[in-house]
Amino acid sequence: MKKKQANVIFRSEWGRKKPILLSGLMIMLAVLMTFSAAASPSLPLQQKKVTGKVTDATSGEALPGVTIVIRGTTTGVASDLDGSYSIDVPSNSTVLQFTSVGYASQEVTVGSRAVINVAMQSDVTMIEELVVVGYGFKKKRDLTGSISSITASSIEDTPVKDVLSALQGRAPGVFVTSNSGAPGDGITVRVRGYSSLNSGNDPLYVIDGVPVESRTLTTLNGYDMHGLNPLSDINPGDIESIEVLKDAASTSIYGSRAANGVVLITTKRGKEGKATVNLNVFTGMSEITRHLGVLNAQQWRQVIIDTYRNLDRYNNAAIPSEPHWTAIDSLNPMNNGDVDWQSVMYKQAWQYQAELSVQGGNENAKYAFSTSYLNQDGIILASNYKRITSRLNTDFKVSDKVTIGQNISFSNGKNNRINAGGTGNLSLVQSILVRPPVYSLTYPDGSPIYYFNGKRNPVGMAEECTHLNTTNRLIGNQYLEYDIIEGLKFRTNLSVDFISMKEDEFYPTTVDYRAGYNWGAVRAITNVTWANENYLTYEGTFGEGHSFAALAGFSMQEWKNETTGLNGTYFASDNIRTLNGAGTISNQAVNTTDEHAMLSYFGRITWNYKGKYLAEANIRADGSSRFGAENRFGYFPSASAAWRFSDESFADGLGFLTDGKIRLSIGQTGNESIPNYISGGEFAIGTNYLTNSGASPTVMPNQALKWEVTTQYNLGIDLAMFNNRVSLVGDFYIKNTSDLLFAVPIPETTGFTSLTRNIGDISNKGMEFSIITHNIDGEFQWTTNFNLGLNRNTVVSLPQDVLTNGFIQNGTYHILKEGEPIGVFYGWKFLGVYSRDEDNVNDVRFGSTTGKPFKGGDPIWDDLNNDNVINDDDKQVIGNAQPLFAGGLNNDFSYRNFSLNVFLQFCYGNDIYSHLNNMRNWVFAYNNVSTDALNRWREQGDVTNYPAPTRNDPLRNEYLRVSDRWVEDGSYMRLKNLTLSYTVPSDLTSRVGVSRLRAYVTGQNLLTFTHYTAYDPEVNSYDGLRIGVDEGAYPMSRTVIFGINMEF
Amino acid sequence: MKLKYIKTAIIAIVLLQVTACTDILDKDPVSSFSASGFYKTTADAQAGVYGIYDAAQSVFTYNFCYWGEGRADNVQTAQTGESLTLLSNNLSATASSADWSALYRMISRANYTIRYIPDVYEEDNATGRQLLGQARALRALAYFYVARVWGDAPFITEPYTSGDQDIFISKTDKEIILDQVEEDLKYAAANCVDKFNSNNDRIMFTKGSANALLTQVYMWRHKYSEAVASSALVMSNPLYSLVAIADWGKMFSASYSKESIFEVGYNDTETNGLRVLYAIGSYAIYTPSVKWKESIEEGDLREDFVYDMVPADPKAIWKYLGRGESDEVSTPAKQNIILTRLADIMLLRAEALNKIGGEANKTEALTLLNTIRTRAGLVPFDTEADAIAMYGDLESAILHERSVELCFEGHRWFDLVRTGKAISTMGPINGLSDEANLEWPVHQNSLNKNPSLAQNPFYN
Repeated sequence: MKKKQANVIFRSEWGRKKPILLSGLMIMLAVLMTFSAAASPSLPLQQKKVTGKVTDATSGEALPGVTIVIRGTTTGVASDLDGSYSIDVPSNSTVLQFTSVGYASQEVTVGSRAVINVAMQSDVTMIEELVVVGYGFKKKRDLTGSISSITASSIEDTPVKDVLSALQGRAPGVFVTSNSGAPGDGITVRVRGYSSLNSGNDPLYVIDGVPVESRTLTTLNGYDMHGLNPLSDINPGDIESIEVLKDAASTSIYGSRAANGVVLITTKRGKEGKATVNLNVFTGMSEITRHLGVLNAQQWRQVIIDTYRNLDRYNNAAIPSEPHWTAIDSLNPMNNGDVDWQSVMYKQAWQYQAELSVQGGNENAKYAFSTSYLNQDGIILASNYKRITSRLNTDFKVSDKVTIGQNISFSNGKNNRINAGGTGNLSLVQSILVRPPVYSLTYPDGSPIYYFNGKRNPVGMAEECTHLNTTNRLIGNQYLEYDIIEGLKFRTNLSVDFISMKEDEFYPTTVDYRAGYNWGAVRAITNVTWANENYLTYEGTFGEGHSFAALAGFSMQEWKNETTGLNGTYFASDNIRTLNGAGTISNQAVNTTDEHAMLSYFGRITWNYKGKYLAEANIRADGSSRFGAENRFGYFPSASAAWRFSDESFADGLGFLTDGKIRLSIGQTGNESIPNYISGGEFAIGTNYLTNSGASPTVMPNQALKWEVTTQYNLGIDLAMFNNRVSLVGDFYIKNTSDLLFAVPIPETTGFTSLTRNIGDISNKGMEFSIITHNIDGEFQWTTNFNLGLNRNTVVSLPQDVLTNGFIQNGTYHILKEGEPIGVFYGWKFLGVYSRDEDNVNDVRFGSTTGKPFKGGDPIWDDLNNDNVINDDDKQVIGNAQPLFAGGLNNDFSYRNFSLNVFLQFCYGNDIYSHLNNMRNWVFAYNNVSTDALNRWREQGDVTNYPAPTRNDPLRNEYLRVSDRWVEDGSYMRLKNLTLSYTVPSDLTSRVGVSRLRAYVTGQNLLTFTHYTAYDPEVNSYDGLRIGVDEGAYPMSRTVIFGINMEF
Repeated sequence: MKLKYIKTAIIAIVLLQVTACTDILDKDPVSSFSASGFYKTTADAQAGVYGIYDAAQSVFTYNFCYWGEGRADNVQTAQTGESLTLLSNNLSATASSADWSALYRMISRANYTIRYIPDVYEEDNATGRQLLGQARALRALAYFYVARVWGDAPFITEPYTSGDQDIFISKTDKEIILDQVEEDLKYAAANCVDKFNSNNDRIMFTKGSANALLTQVYMWRHKYSEAVASSALVMSNPLYSLVAIADWGKMFSASYSKESIFEVGYNDTETNGLRVLYAIGSYAIYTPSVKWKESIEEGDLREDFVYDMVPADPKAIWKYLGRGESDEVSTPAKQNIILTRLADIMLLRAEALNKIGGEANKTEALTLLNTIRTRAGLVPFDTEADAIAMYGDLESAILHERSVELCFEGHRWFDLVRTGKAISTMGPINGLSDEANLEWPVHQNSLNKNPSLAQNPFYN
C-alpha cells in the first residue's frame, strides 16, 4: 500500500524514466536492513578474554570511560571507574582501539597477551585544529579574536540544502532567519546585531579567499519583496568548514566591508592518497506545518451581511443597504462554492538530491571533484526548485617552491516560483487566505474560474502564471604560491564570480478581467566581479619561544552589473510566452549598467610567546569608487592580545583546568553599502516628453559622503576543563557604529525625496557563549553543544534635522528613534472593544474633534495624549522585532553504529508584525476573514475583543492601520533537526567495496513551539531594516528525509 | 633557471598591477550622468528641458482637475476618496491633492536647467535663450499653481547641488512668488520661439503661450491693463484661431487644434488620468453637476460634446475621451490636457476690459463674449443690458460663459476664487465660509519632513 503510494507520486514528479533511482534506493534500504540484522550477533570463534587498565600517561591516574572496540566491528566495552576493562576477543590478531575524548586514540594488537595496560596520551591536536582566518590559517588555540567555526561533519550529517541555513542556531551571535519557506529563497544573516541604518547589514562572504557577490538580487522583479539567496547555488556538500569572524580583530583585515562580520567558506580540497568516492543521496517529503482557521461559506455570508449592517449604523441609513447582489446569493453558480482554499493550494512536496564527489591525488597533484543535483518541490502548488552544481578544486606542485591551483564551480538553478509575500492581488499566500470560500473553482461546465469579481484565483495564479528564475553562476579562482625563502611566501589570486540571472514572468488572459489582456516580462542580470589579491606572508621563530608571523598585500576588486528588462502586453497567444509574442512592448524596457571598484592595502603582524602570550595587529586601507575623491580611502586598524593563563604556574593547582585563555581585542571596520554613484549625484535619462528624450536629476550630490565606521571591543574567554570534557567559549562585545550612511528623507521642495548622508550612531552590546560537553563516553556516547547569543541594539543618536516628531519613519511599520533599537514597530494601541455606544463616555472621535465618534463594536484605541481624538499623535512604540536572545542546543548520541542528532533552535523575545493577520481580519471587498471573527461584536452589549466588521469602515479601524492588534510574540523553539542514522559495519560493507555506508532518516522542523498565530514565526518579508514583518511569506514546511551516504 | 623566470614574471605582474590600478576607483555612471558630467553639451540642455515637461506630465495628470474643478460647482461625484473630500470641503493635511511634491520636482528640474544652460550656450545664443525661456515658463507654470493652491509657499530658484545647502525652506509671501512668475514669463515671452512649425507649437512654450499664461497670471493678480496688453499679443498671434463648432469636440479628443495655446502632451505610453477622472466605471469620479447642467442655455451646441444628454443622470464626461466612449474601456487616456486656449484668453480679456470699464472697453468685451456665444449657437447679447438681464452683470455673464466653454478644463475653481465668488457660490453647496479655507493645506508629509514649514492657518 505504502509502496504504491510512493510510486504514484514518484511518477508524477520525476517522469517515467527515473523510477530506477527510487527502486535502487529501496533495494539499498532492504540490503541495509539485512546487513544490520546480520551484524548484530558477533561470530563465536576461538574466544579469548583480555583485561587491563587504562591510565593517563602524564598523571598516571586511572581513566574511566575509555572506549575499547575490536577494530572492524562494533563490539566494544568501556573502562570502569578505576580504569579497568575486560573484553572478549576472537583471535590473537585482533586489534583493539582505545579512544577517549581529549586523548590520542591508540591501537594495540592483542597477540598472545591476556593483560594489556594502556597509558593514554593527552591529545593536544584536539584543540590544535586549524581555523581559517582572513588571508590564512591559524591554530584554534592561538586565536586572539572571536571566531565561530562550523565543520563539515555537522553539515554532512544533516541534509541542508543551502549554506546559510547550515549556520542557523550553530554559531552564537550569528542570527539567521529564512525570509520564507520557498525553495531557494532569501535568508537574512546578522552577526552581532544591526550596525547600519541602511540595508548594508549583511556580512561579507568569502569563498576560498574570494569575496563573492552576496547581495540579494531583488531588482529583477519590482513587486515581489523576496530576493533570492545568492549563496543557494553553492552545494553544501562541498564545504569543508564555515568560519564566522565576529570581532574587529578578526574582521578588520577585510576592512571596509567587515562591519557586519565575515563569513569564510572553505571548500574541500584533494588529499594525498587513494581516491575516495562519496555518493550521497536523499529523498524526502515536506508539508505545511499548519492550516489557519478561515470561515466557511455559511459563516462568511453572515459576516458580509453584518458588515453592511454595521456600516448603516454610521450612515444612519433609513433603509438597510443591500449587499452586492451575488455576494451572499448561495444559489448563484459563481458563488455557491464552499472551498477550503488552503487544502486546494498546499500539497505534500517531494524532494530529491544526489551528490557525487571524488577526491584524491599524489605528492604533486591533488583534486577534489563534485557534482550534485537537487530537485525540490514547494509546498504550494506548482512551485519547484532544481539545482545542478559542479566543482573542481585542484592543486599542483610545479616545483619545490611553486604551487598553483584552481577552484572552479558552476551551478545552474531553476526556480519555478510563485508570487508569495507580494502585495495585493498578486500575493498568493494572502489570496489563499482571504479568498471568499463561496467562489467556485469552476464554472458549471467544469472549466476553471481564474478571475472573478476582482480577484484572481490562486490556483490559476500558481498553475497558469510563469515566474521562472534561472541562475547560472561560475566562480573561478586561480592561485600561485611561491616559497621565496624558508618562511617567506608570496601568493597571488585571481578570481572571477560570474552570475547570470534571468526571470521570466507571464500572466495569461485567463487570470485577467480584460479580454485578450495578457502580460509578460523578462528581466536579466549579469553580474561580473573580478578580484586580484597579492600578498606576502612570513612565519618565523626568534630566540626562545618567540614566533612571529607577518602579512602584507594589496587587492583590487571590480564589480559590474548589467540589468536588462522588457515588459510586453497583448501577446498573440497564452502559449507563446517569450517577448517576441507580445503585441505591445511597453516603455518599461530597461537596460542599465553600473560599476563599482575597490583598491585595498592590508597588513598583519602576529607575535606568540610559547602559546602563552599572543598578540596581533592588523591594518587595512580601502579605497572605494562610491565615495567622493577626498573621502575615498578609509583606514581600519585593529589590535588584539590573548593570555593563556592555564600555562602559568598558578594554574597548576587548578587540576580540572585543561586549557584557559583570555582574549581582548579592539578595532575598526567599515561599511560602504550605498548605491553606486550617489556621492556625485546622478542625472537619469528616460524622463521623456513624448518622443523627446529627457534627462533629469535623480540623486542629489553629496561630495562629503564617507565611510560608516564601526569600532568594536571584544573580551573573550576560552576554557577547557576535565580533560576537554567541557569546553566553553564566551565573548562580550561592544560595537559602536558612527557616521551611519543613511538616505535621509528630505523636503520634497528640493525636488528629491532623500539625501544619503553620514548621520548618527548605533550601538550593539552583547554576549555569546558556546559550551560543548561530552556527557557520556564509552560505547554509548552523548555530546551536547549549547550556544546562546544575546544582543542589545540601540540607536544612540540621530541628527535632529532628520527627525519628524522625534523619529524617522522607516517603511510602513517601523521607526528609527533615539534610545530604541532598530526594528521597533510604531502604531496605535488596541485596548479592547466598546461594548455599547454609551461606553465611549469621553466622546472619542476619529481623526479630529469633528470626526465621527467611536460606537459600540469599535476598537478602543489608546488615546495617548488624552485629547479624545484618535489620530497620528496617539501612535506609540508597539513592539520590537529584535530578539532578546537566540541560540541552539545540539545533542549527539551514539550507541555502537547508531547515532542520533537532536537539534533545537530557539529565539526569544522578538515581536512579529503580522500584516497577514491584519489582511485576514479586515473585511475588504468581500475578503474572507479568520475564524476569530466568530467572536465578533454583533450587537450592543456584546463583550468581546473582536470589533464589529464594517464595510468601508468610516473609522478606518482595520484599514491598514498599524496597531498592536497585529503585533504578536515571535518567540519560538523549534526541533530543527532530528536525525537517526545507522552506519553499516565496515567489515560487512568492505566485502562489496564500500568503505562506509550510512543510512539516515531526518525530520526537519518537526515541532515548533510558539504563540504566533499565523503560519510560522520565522518571517522576514523585507530585506534590510524592516524586519519581523509577516506580509504573507511562503510558509515554512515540515520535512522528513531519508538518505544514504556511501564512500568507496 | 626556471625559478628565475617565475620570479621575474611575478615581479612583472605585481608591478603592472600596482601601476595599472591607480585609476580603478574613478567610476562614472554608465547608464546615467553624474551631476558634474551633465550639462556639457547642447543636447544635454535640450534633454534637461524635456525633463521638466516630463515632470509637468505627472503634475497635471489628475491634479489639473482636483485643483481646478474639484472644489467648484461644475462637478459632482458618486465616489468616495479625493473627489468627495474636495467637494464636501473636507480637506485635511492627508488629502492627495495637498501634496506638492510633483510641482516642486518640476521646479527643481527647471532650476537645474536655468542654472546650467548658460554654461552650455554663449549668452546671446538664440537657441540657448529659447531653451532658457521654456525652462523659465515651466517654472512659472509650476509656481503659478503653487501660489494659487497653497498661497505662501517655499520659494526656491537655485538647484540643489551639494549637501551643504539649506534644505529646510520656510514659506515666502505668495506675491513675491508671483512676481517671479511674471518675470519668468516675461523672459519667456521675449526669448521663446515664435513657433516650432509642428505640433510642438501646442505642447511647448512659445512666445504666444508665454503671453497667454502671463494673461492668466495678470488676471489672478487683478492687473487688468497688463492682461489687456498681453492678451492682445496672443490674439494677434497667427498661430491661434477659433475652431468651428463642428470641431469643438475634437480640440479635446484629438488635441493639437489651432485654437490650443498650451497643452501638456501625452501619448500611448505617457498617459494621464482623464479616463479615470471622467469616463470609466459605473460612475466616473466626476460627472456634470445638476446645477451646471441647468445653467446651460437652451440650444447650446457644446452640451452634446460634453456628456450624454439622454439619461437623467449621466455616468461620465465625454469631453476628452470623445462622445459615446464606452465606460468599460480601461486603456489609460492619452489626450492632452489643455491648460490654455484662445477662448480662455478671449474671455479673460473680456473680463479685464469690463473691469477697466469705459464704453469702448465694454463694447469690445461684449464682442469677445458674443464671439464665443455665437460659435456655440447662442444668441449674441446686443447690448450689455441683455447680458445684465440674463446674468445680473457683464462679469457674471462672462464667468458663466467660461464655466460652459471651458468646463472641466481646470479653470472653474480659480475663476471663482479670483473673482471673489468662491464663498458665495460654494457656501450653499458645502458650507465653505472662511477665506483662509480657499487655500489647500500643506500635506502632512511635507510638514513632517521640514521643521521650518508651518501649516496654512485654516488647517491648524
